[in-house]
Amino acid sequence: MECIITIELGTNAVRIFAFDIKGNIIGSMKGSYPTFHTEPDYSEQDPEQIFITMLYVLKNLLTEKIHSRKYKVVTICFCASMHSVLAIDDHGVPLGNAITWADNRGKVEAQELKGSALGKQLYGITGTPIHPMSPLVKIAWMKKHEYDRFNRTSKFLSIKSYIIQQLTGEYFIDYSLASATGLLNIQTMQWEPEALAYAGITADRLPELASVFHSPGKLHKEYQKSLGLPASTKLILGSSDGCMATLGAGVWSEGKATITIEDSGAVRVVGNKVLRDDKQRFFNYLLTENCYVSGGPTNNGGVVFEWFAKQFGDFRNPYDLEYTMENLIQEAARVHVGSDGLLFLPYLLGERAPIWNANARGSYFGLNIKHERRHFIRATIEGILYEIYSIGKTLQEHRSINSLSVNGSFASIPFCTQMIADIFNKPVTSKNSDSVSFGSFLLSATDRGAYQNLEDASGTIEPTNVYTPDPSNHEIYQSYFEIFERLTAKLSDEFEEISRLQQKHSRVFSSVK
Amino acid sequence: MNHFILQQGHSRELHLFPHILEFVSRKNNSIQLNTLNSTTTDFLRLYFIVDGKFEWIIDGKNHILYPGDLAIILPGQTFRGEKDILHIGTLFWLYLQVEKLDSDGMQLGKWSQLSKNECLAIGKTLCINNAGVLKLKDSQILLQTLRSELANQEIGFATRANQLIDELLITIARQSTRQNNSQRDFSQTFMKLEHALRQNLSHQWTVEEMAALIGLGATNFTEKVKNHTGFSPLNYLINIRISEAIKLLNRQDVNVTDIALRTGFYSSQHFSTTFKRLTGYTPSDFRKRNLPQRQ
Repeated sequence: MECIITIELGTNAVRIFAFDIKGNIIGSMKGSYPTFHTEPDYSEQDPEQIFITMLYVLKNLLTEKIHSRKYKVVTICFCASMHSVLAIDDHGVPLGNAITWADNRGKVEAQELKGSALGKQLYGITGTPIHPMSPLVKIAWMKKHEYDRFNRTSKFLSIKSYIIQQLTGEYFIDYSLASATGLLNIQTMQWEPEALAYAGITADRLPELASVFHSPGKLHKEYQKSLGLPASTKLILGSSDGCMATLGAGVWSEGKATITIEDSGAVRVVGNKVLRDDKQRFFNYLLTENCYVSGGPTNNGGVVFEWFAKQFGDFRNPYDLEYTMENLIQEAARVHVGSDGLLFLPYLLGERAPIWNANARGSYFGLNIKHERRHFIRATIEGILYEIYSIGKTLQEHRSINSLSVNGSFASIPFCTQMIADIFNKPVTSKNSDSVSFGSFLLSATDRGAYQNLEDASGTIEPTNVYTPDPSNHEIYQSYFEIFERLTAKLSDEFEEISRLQQKHSRVFSSVK
Repeated sequence: MNHFILQQGHSRELHLFPHILEFVSRKNNSIQLNTLNSTTTDFLRLYFIVDGKFEWIIDGKNHILYPGDLAIILPGQTFRGEKDILHIGTLFWLYLQVEKLDSDGMQLGKWSQLSKNECLAIGKTLCINNAGVLKLKDSQILLQTLRSELANQEIGFATRANQLIDELLITIARQSTRQNNSQRDFSQTFMKLEHALRQNLSHQWTVEEMAALIGLGATNFTEKVKNHTGFSPLNYLINIRISEAIKLLNRQDVNVTDIALRTGFYSSQHFSTTFKRLTGYTPSDFRKRNLPQRQ
């Protein structure tokens, strides 16, 4: 029997899935790796540890679930978080750690560029918002602040490019990851000269561009042997986690949007046109030719609820966060829709879309003497989802959205999914959190000719668990959301002031994303 | 309460306890200037506040101590009063001879009934948490009992006294873990452990040792780590060892045997086998891979 392996190099962990040809999961395993914050704004990962962890997990999965059951691996498809940068020298050896999407060291450079005419122009050409997350900004930062490292760098890779190079010897990046670097012209599908000039590099210092279906070459013999895989196993570059979460959720036509909420979150739509936004609020990532995944990301997803649980939850056992969160959700469910007028702004980590303000901060508003602990719980969840709605609402200025599909560990909690349906007043279908891997499976299956194209592939996903909106709840949420939106706008000066004071007075204050 | 001063070499009571360098209970009735000057010692110092309020600087950090607080000054750490002042109040102190190890950790003497591993774990826990000051009211009764054992010398007092010191150290180690880890945020706690492992990668870590560092039992710890990382603690450690080894292999200037030992493998043979099993390459073949190649 044949099977397809998908490897997702995520923010905190690698997740590897094995699917049979029909898309049923044969098995999955994960392995986590640490993120280092050596400076408040820094967020780095060790490329070697990611590589070793990936190999170890892959080997275990193959041994336990694949070889023992006589499956034959036909395709291995990769997928990774966006925006990472890894500098390597002319021997291919990493110069320090990889810089992740959450790294904020280039905030000054980003702010300068964003306000300039060049920034506006680059956003239009590359589709990537000007932000410290963008490799464009990170490379420019390195040139300015670590010139020696910059100068010794023969190539600036993404983590995925490095992993694939370790396995095959070839340097590649797929169009979708490349379109999240801020360096790719998403119309011509070439590295953009203006962006390269700003970053201070030439195109030969980047990996070679290729389609998400491209095969970078065979596994090195040593890995074939140690993993027990034949030389005929096809590797394909694959895409980014954001694009695959969208594909894997079955959102591949007009009128649909997908909401992903893990630690952070995003609302995304797919179309054959770039979403032009004067206020530079959305990203436009290129999946295949003329196929764009557009949307807005938030920093403050499940991570904010987790923060709440850690501070205020009842812990039965040490570190038993899951149980604590379940209890909190149950308590929240017993509070009226709208939390009896308690509102929460969830900007604990600053915010990206739609306000793009790294200095935004959280707040509870509307407290009265009758509010209890349980109101705070519900208000926290409502606040996180109002923020998701505010991204969705801005997207609807450009696209009509008739139905939603949610995925990710936070959004797929039934209580949250229903709330999303009510807040948006649209039917919502829910997928479990495996959408990213399933997207990679669909990509691989399409590559093998099982489907004509990706749209075809995504069409095979049957909606499960449909949540229908309750119009009367929607009305209540809508009235509170209006205050939520106005509060966010009105507090903008105070956000600046309070974050300035926080940074001044707190030595341990670690940065916002 | 009676106040007393016991000093090694001067006090008969300490004759059987060479590891107790000084044990004092003191009531300070007036502000003493120029008393707590900056000092660094090679022994362990514990101060317990009975009443009063003291402002001290331990290992460069400012602390305000209130009744029920216990200050721990590890060997090699600096300690002084704010402006070198000793404030008004009552306090105990106990100076203990310990053996400082090169790595993060210390070893107690033969007098202790703690096993060697427990000793190491306690030493490591104190060093890693580096608490400075703990809220530890319970230690007052231990110190008072220790005092009466030493004074009364009833039958079995030598054993009792040493047991009390063991007990005190266990209590301190546990509290330092609790106070440092809320037991709510495993990923944060795990990061601290990760850091400790990396700081001392050549050490032959055991699961019990790792678990003790963050205040969990071995079984519970293993389950939590497995859940969080996907690996058993020892397999996770192998990930760190091999990734550090790869970095050293890439440097070309360290030989394979040194790499093996520095990253915590028993031998270069053990290193090669583990490395090959995971990566498919022997360390030297892996190293060659990055040698000539593209320019």
